[in-house]
Amino acid sequence: MPKQKNPFWSFFASVYLTITLLVFTVVLSIVGTFIPQQDAAREFVQGIPPGLASFLQTMQIFDLFHSVWFFLLMLLLSLNLIICSLNRWPLTWKQFRRAPFPGDEEGLFRGLDNGRVFLCDEDVATITGRLEGLLGRKYRQISRNQEKGDAVIISGERGRYSRFAVYVVHLSLLLLILGALMGAFWGWEGYVNIGEGETADAIDLKGGKGTKALPFTIRCDKFIVEFYENGAPKTYRSDLTFLKEGKTIYQGPVLVNHPVSLEGVRVYQASYGSSPDGRASLAFIRGGQEQKIIKIGAGESFSLPDKEGTVQIVRLEENLMQMGPAVKLLVNSGPGEVSFWVFQHIDKIREMNPGVTEQVPMFNPSLFKPYVFALKGMEERYYTGLQISRDPGAPLAAAAAVLMMVALIGTFFSSHRRIWIKIQPAGEKTRITVAARSNKHPVVLDREVRQLAELIKVNLEKGST
Amino acid sequence: MTNTMILSWVTFLYFGAFVLYLFHLVFGKEFWGKAAFYTVLGGLGAHTVGLLLRWQESYTLGIGHAPLSNFYESLIFFAWALILLYVIMEWRIKNRSLGAFVLPVAFLLMAFASLAPNVSDRIQPLVPALQSNWLTSHVVTCFMGYAAFTVAFAIGIMYFLRNIPLFGFIPEGDILDELMYQHAVLGFVFLTLGIMTGSVWAHYAWGSYWSWDPKETWSLITWLIYAVMLHARYVRGWRGKRMAVLAIIGFAAVLFTYLGVNYLPGLHSYLKS
Repeated sequence: MPKQKNPFWSFFASVYLTITLLVFTVVLSIVGTFIPQQDAAREFVQGIPPGLASFLQTMQIFDLFHSVWFFLLMLLLSLNLIICSLNRWPLTWKQFRRAPFPGDEEGLFRGLDNGRVFLCDEDVATITGRLEGLLGRKYRQISRNQEKGDAVIISGERGRYSRFAVYVVHLSLLLLILGALMGAFWGWEGYVNIGEGETADAIDLKGGKGTKALPFTIRCDKFIVEFYENGAPKTYRSDLTFLKEGKTIYQGPVLVNHPVSLEGVRVYQASYGSSPDGRASLAFIRGGQEQKIIKIGAGESFSLPDKEGTVQIVRLEENLMQMGPAVKLLVNSGPGEVSFWVFQHIDKIREMNPGVTEQVPMFNPSLFKPYVFALKGMEERYYTGLQISRDPGAPLAAAAAVLMMVALIGTFFSSHRRIWIKIQPAGEKTRITVAARSNKHPVVLDREVRQLAELIKVNLEKGST
Repeated sequence: MTNTMILSWVTFLYFGAFVLYLFHLVFGKEFWGKAAFYTVLGGLGAHTVGLLLRWQESYTLGIGHAPLSNFYESLIFFAWALILLYVIMEWRIKNRSLGAFVLPVAFLLMAFASLAPNVSDRIQPLVPALQSNWLTSHVVTCFMGYAAFTVAFAIGIMYFLRNIPLFGFIPEGDILDELMYQHAVLGFVFLTLGIMTGSVWAHYAWGSYWSWDPKETWSLITWLIYAVMLHARYVRGWRGKRMAVLAIIGFAAVLFTYLGVNYLPGLHSYLKS
């Protein structure tokens, strides 16, 4: 072929190039795991000289896996893969189509050990028939060739198609790279935080690449977080409603490991948090009267019965001085003002620090007599952190992965094995010789031939009795 | 817990087997070899029982997951897979000299799991990210791959010791080369499966089938190193010493994928506890 003389062609047909490119990919990947990438790089950049930082930024060192370098490597690797495969294909095709008898039969049967040579009493024709049947049980393409001096060679083969498996592996790798490129060009990924009861119709793209409008509106109806007894998280769950032009198109929960897929967009549970503008559930008792509970937010106030005063929530703390949730009240009763903290776990605090409410009046929930206040709990308002992405290359990548797995098994655990059995007269007796060739795995072939030889031996002994 | 007690006894069985393999090499008597092999078999049996008991105990505790969820459990499973592959190999090739090289690795893994102060052997409930059916298939395939690469590494080390007179018992270079290659292939196929199951899982849990998380990246690096090794053998006909060097480099990448990346920030942080 003239192609092989073309320097471009022979450069890309080299396996040394493949190995060099793979080594480059390895080095680049190692660098990419030690130098912070993308969002993590921002903090890192502040710690190095600005000149160096901007140089590295220009060289795309902080987004190596999406850089021109990586793209170039993948491109070269793909070209290398395609040209290597094209280059080897004619030979593979020739071997696939090869006639059952190579024409150098003499060489095939030279120097075989005793385990593969037998003598028996019956004539060539009988044994040929019998061994053809035997070979046909395990091998395909059984054929027969008449040789010089009344000798006969029969042949069979297995795993002919495994010669193509390695091409399919490489094809699947190309498809995988294609799928990844499709994802890189037409896919996107971003985050949005939505408070309970709120809606969102746009997200912040990853890596500070701006915002993106969603094809629908998401409303977070509720966010639930549950913990195990040891404090580890058990469940993160968002109950979401998806709306389009005011109409609900889907309603359901999103949990970690259970994303929702809608119009080609996937919505994942990624994080959560609680809003600082939560509300408190505050109870108060006057004398022996019945308890009243009010739900109230920071800065809001309410009036006590009979105009005895107004209570304002000055501050809400989720964990004040490591003693749990607390609210700071300011009670205005006309002539004077009094301010104090109401802890949710006041009983426990008193138990741990006897007399604390007497020593520190600010911590006494009954400072405004004759009222006693109690914090029943903080009404936390959660927000859910959703990760939203679209990857049009994912189905192709998945198909490529399945194809690769099947083809890898074909490549590694199968081979094209060809068997020849020569049956020739040897004085009064008949000599049988077994020869074999395989395109890989000589050890496996050797074992297989030994098994076949054993089978032939047993069969001949049975036949002659 | 019964399972951790059984598993710590298994550690001693593996150590005992290692010593017996050494006796076999020094004295050359078949008795020691047989004793070593049966000790390994006993250890593997107890190991399997320990794992199954742990699985059952997790259900009794109301937690209910396969024993493959934290660092302790990964070490134990790693050792189990390694011994399983070793037993199959010894049975196939009828040669016991490799035991003295593989057993100490399994022993160290088990000892580290049982004794290291920062490795908790408690059965813990699964955090939301781990609550997936892909957990078992991902961890099993990855660690079968790691175990096969470890065997290839042990054979690679033997390849270099072969020329020292003291180590005259080591089988011929051709046999070692073939075994090393077979285990590299086995590891490669399992690692491929492990990366694929991991990708499918990530597609459901992390919002993308591939995020260039350090562990993902290092598994790719490992995969590429073994890909280079296999190509060098198939296409350029590399054998013996060069293969042994690659088996050792590959194993270094495996170790970094398993342990090293925990010191880099990333999504795969379950192993830290």
